[in-house]
Amino acid sequence: MAELETALRQLGTELELPPTPDLASAIRGRLERPRAWRRPVLIALALLVVAIGAALAVPPARTAILDWLGLRNVSVVRVDELPPARPLGRLDLGREVTLAEAKRRAHWLRIPAREPDHVFVSDALPGGRVTLVWGTPSNVRLLLTETNGRAYIQKVVQGGSDVEPVDVGEGGAWFQGEHIVMFQDRDGTFHEGKGRLAASTLAWQLGDVTLRLEGNISKNEALRWARGTR
Amino acid sequence: MERARRGDQKAYEELVRAHQGIAFRTAYLIAGNAADAEEAAQDGFVKAYRALGRFRQGLSFRPWLLQIIANEARNRRRSTGRRAALALRAAAEETSGGAAPSPEGALLAGEERERLLAAVNGLREEERLVIACRFFLGLSEEETAAALDVRRGTVKSQTSRALDHLREAYG
Repeated sequence: MAELETALRQLGTELELPPTPDLASAIRGRLERPRAWRRPVLIALALLVVAIGAALAVPPARTAILDWLGLRNVSVVRVDELPPARPLGRLDLGREVTLAEAKRRAHWLRIPAREPDHVFVSDALPGGRVTLVWGTPSNVRLLLTETNGRAYIQKVVQGGSDVEPVDVGEGGAWFQGEHIVMFQDRDGTFHEGKGRLAASTLAWQLGDVTLRLEGNISKNEALRWARGTR
Repeated sequence: MERARRGDQKAYEELVRAHQGIAFRTAYLIAGNAADAEEAAQDGFVKAYRALGRFRQGLSFRPWLLQIIANEARNRRRSTGRRAALALRAAAEETSGGAAPSPEGALLAGEERERLLAAVNGLREEERLVIACRFFLGLSEEETAAALDVRRGTVKSQTSRALDHLREAYG
């Protein structure tokens, strides 16, 4: 019935909507603001692109590693030397919410035995991302990141560092020592500039959920945490 | 557009001016208040500027922009925990005191308008938003899908369901 649609269009012209502010002027300063960190990030980005390009140029090697780990959504890239990356200090975790709110928004969320001190959600990844933090956001003791479905995590590790398959969930791996972690963005690409230095990490798969627990803990402690997460 | 992509801020400002109205109104419908809508639109325009390099030429700019801004608006709405739907109001009629009473036709139209508006405000959130985007803001199906972060097919089906509900309520 076109009449109703016409009435709705007419109603649209009569609605009380606030006047549009002058956004062009408001953002002018923000476009001009110099970004001091740009250069180091660009260098890191360039190095990462080279490193990753080289490693991904050999797809069979990549697939073999993925199969071996049993982690569908985590890929590992080995490089001779880790490129510079941001340390843990500057985390972009998204927005802080309560645990209950995170559960409402991400029904797939897996909860560890001990309740986190802070919970963050982010829409930056295709299936969403939830991060549970123990400690404070500026002084993180333990970080559990959960992604759902098609979100890929890429890890760049140094040639000799240990990546060990572990028996947890449907497949897992323990990354001993420092490495670089990157999350695939909503548009399907890895934003190298967003890669950051990560401490030892346990990554594992539960159904469609990929989990990574990071912190200054031993492999056995990490495995205990992982097995208590359901 | 091409100049803006190459980092020409003046060119981008022109682009902002051309789209700020629809961007702000879309953000307002989603965020539910003017302050959040303004912030969402500002942040969205800044993010879009930084992401222009990833914008694929040949696509239309408006759905892409609306997607970014609507996403900002949704984030604000969620973070403030506001759930109550924005109740849309019709602008007050400009009747000056002592003026001759409105002709009957216009008065009926006013009542009808209020009834239709009440029916829209009574819809479920998703349907209300789809109606608002399509008919109040005049967005295309593609733009509505981008703004509401759903598929085009979903926009089609929600629109037709919402229209059915409106017919039931509005008669």
